[in-house]
Amino acid sequence: MSTRKTINRFTAIGGLCTAVALVATGCGAGGPTSSGSAASTVNVLVEAGGHAELTGVAEQCKKDAGIDVNFVELPYDGMFNRLSSEFSSGNVSFDVAALDSVWLPSFKDAVQPIDELFTDEAKKDIFPALVKEANVDGHFIGMPAWTNAEIILYRTDLFEDAANKAGFNAKYGYDLAAPTTWQQYKDISEFFTKDGMYGTDVKGGVETEWLAHVLQAGSPMVLDENNNVVIDNAAHKEALDFYTSLTSYAPPGAAQVDWAAAQNLFNQGKTAMTRFWAHAYRQIPKDAPVAGKVGAAPMIGGSAGVAGVPGPWYLSVPKATKNADNAKKFVKCAYDYNSLGIESSLGLASRISAFEKYQDKAGYESFGPLISTLNGAATATRPATEKWQQIVDTVLVPLLQKAVAGGDSTALLADAKKQIQDLLK
Amino acid sequence: MSLADPRLHGPAVTETTMPTSTMTSAPKTRASNGNGTRRRRHHAEGLEAGKRSTRTLLWILLAAAMIFYGFPFLYLLFTSFKTPIDTIAVPPTILPREWTLENYTNALGRSGVLASFINSAQTAIISTVLSLVLAVPAAYGITRYKTPSGRVFIMAALVTRMVPPVAIGIPLASMMSAAGLADTPIALSIAHTTISLPLSIWLMSSFFEAVPKDLEEAATVDGCSRLGALWRVVIPVVSGGIAVTAIFAFLASWNEFLFALLMTAVRSQTTPVVIANFQTQFGLDWGSMTALAAVYSIPVILLTLLLQRKIVAGMTLGAVKG
Repeated sequence: MSTRKTINRFTAIGGLCTAVALVATGCGAGGPTSSGSAASTVNVLVEAGGHAELTGVAEQCKKDAGIDVNFVELPYDGMFNRLSSEFSSGNVSFDVAALDSVWLPSFKDAVQPIDELFTDEAKKDIFPALVKEANVDGHFIGMPAWTNAEIILYRTDLFEDAANKAGFNAKYGYDLAAPTTWQQYKDISEFFTKDGMYGTDVKGGVETEWLAHVLQAGSPMVLDENNNVVIDNAAHKEALDFYTSLTSYAPPGAAQVDWAAAQNLFNQGKTAMTRFWAHAYRQIPKDAPVAGKVGAAPMIGGSAGVAGVPGPWYLSVPKATKNADNAKKFVKCAYDYNSLGIESSLGLASRISAFEKYQDKAGYESFGPLISTLNGAATATRPATEKWQQIVDTVLVPLLQKAVAGGDSTALLADAKKQIQDLLK
Repeated sequence: MSLADPRLHGPAVTETTMPTSTMTSAPKTRASNGNGTRRRRHHAEGLEAGKRSTRTLLWILLAAAMIFYGFPFLYLLFTSFKTPIDTIAVPPTILPREWTLENYTNALGRSGVLASFINSAQTAIISTVLSLVLAVPAAYGITRYKTPSGRVFIMAALVTRMVPPVAIGIPLASMMSAAGLADTPIALSIAHTTISLPLSIWLMSSFFEAVPKDLEEAATVDGCSRLGALWRVVIPVVSGGIAVTAIFAFLASWNEFLFALLMTAVRSQTTPVVIANFQTQFGLDWGSMTALAAVYSIPVILLTLLLQRKIVAGMTLGAVKG
């Protein structure tokens, strides 16, 4: 009988829970609206890290245009799948999507042109590479919300140490300072690789840094303007050889080092320099051994000068949204109040004027080098091909991992060329 | 096995139950048999020592297994109390150098966390109930009416487990959207039921198999209908199995990530997605992520403790069949 009672009790509890759950199911606990059908509400799909960038804008947009903004935060790894799924179904749960620049060509047919927002004045205030990237097939389809680029972060306490200065000058014949060329970067890396410390890191798990060196060597990245595969040209080999030559001055296991690992190594004081995204300067933990001892400089230059690969995110309006007018109003707000993003924890923007407004303020020392890098003569965005992400995942990253592990660069680049040509067929 | 178990104290039991007549002659027998007694005592001591060393070995193995399985969770727990720089220490440390609750404050103070907990609970409860409501009669039918179609059905249920969830995630999301259920816990519950239902049917089938048909026949003789026998006799017998099945179904939904990622937005986002959001393109907030994961695991641990006896009973139910 006791078992029966238990069963009955479980049944009653289960039934009650289900009833409560079903009643509550009507709206869900996250909020009253799911799509942007309400006239004054806009749903913005954003990568979790970018949410903070747009919070201030959302508040200002509410004041100015009376638009309520709901953010749908997703992790980066799942966002592409979600976007693909909703765009292909024709039903979208958002009115504005923050898109990584590499996704723009893939989703060009699913988002609306926003040419009217790209006035001459706006185009002057956005970095040229971003204006070019936002224009796909003759239409502007995304407004840059924030951008980033790799710069040089280095340990000022080590660089300003008198013994290091004297020792470096004696060994290399010039003064120790933030590097501006490949050779200087290599020399300084070698100099600081001692006593359990390394001069730099080498990231075998990500491709962007090597591609920046390719630009510095004077070649377009992987594909030329006619979409011919040029990954086996001299500049790519020169950049790859420089990249792999630094493994002698970097922590072991370069093939597995990615952004997170490299950032940790630098913040822990294991490396004297790193080539890293500019936002990292403001994200050094206060209790890190290197806190207050880090300087920033523009990305190094090769034979073609300074160059970086910008990492912008664009705000786009899906064709399938029923709330396009308000969505575009939000995108305009994001442009008008772009500098509010700098006050966020991430501290980035996309307008030149926004960066310039802050570059001389304490705590924003990375902005000057970031502006220089983004304005670099050879700075360019990634090739506009729908297959780019596939090329990165299946060809470029494996190529780098083999190269930093000691593979023959000529053979690897020739092999990569064949693979990319097959992907683009 | 308790210490009073007769299997451990066989000779003592024999001695205490010995008849009085035998008792009086016992000293003589013992005296005349001194060497044998000593040998027996030595033998018994040897056996006892052997048992002790076996038990020690088993305890060591058990402790090693517990550490092996529990270490990832313990590491997560310790990390949730570390300062930001401690969480990314190279080489990593197990214990925090400085204990802090800041990660819990950050994680729980983040907007949408409470709502995501409610959504997770709603979704898991609905999915578990749906799974049981469908799996119990399905499994009962398959095991009691052994038809060819039943066998095909249960195999087909197994095959659905072999389909990668990502392959059905996108079509499911489109279907839910077309049905007007986009971004609701009910849509996610239905999706989660597609994961837990096949396993639930298989589990419940094995539990029903263990129940002798004689029990139902006796109930039928006493005037029960077929359904009455199921409700009044069979289900109480397999209640441990139902608890096990419920736990598996609940866990499958509680921890599910992919469908939640594809099918939820503003209203129904569940906690696994919120936890994943601590990893961004700009860095990974280990402290907050582990703090929220630790908090999120509490309800499941409590549920498991609450149903522990039922689970153990359910686990052994299938072992006595035949």
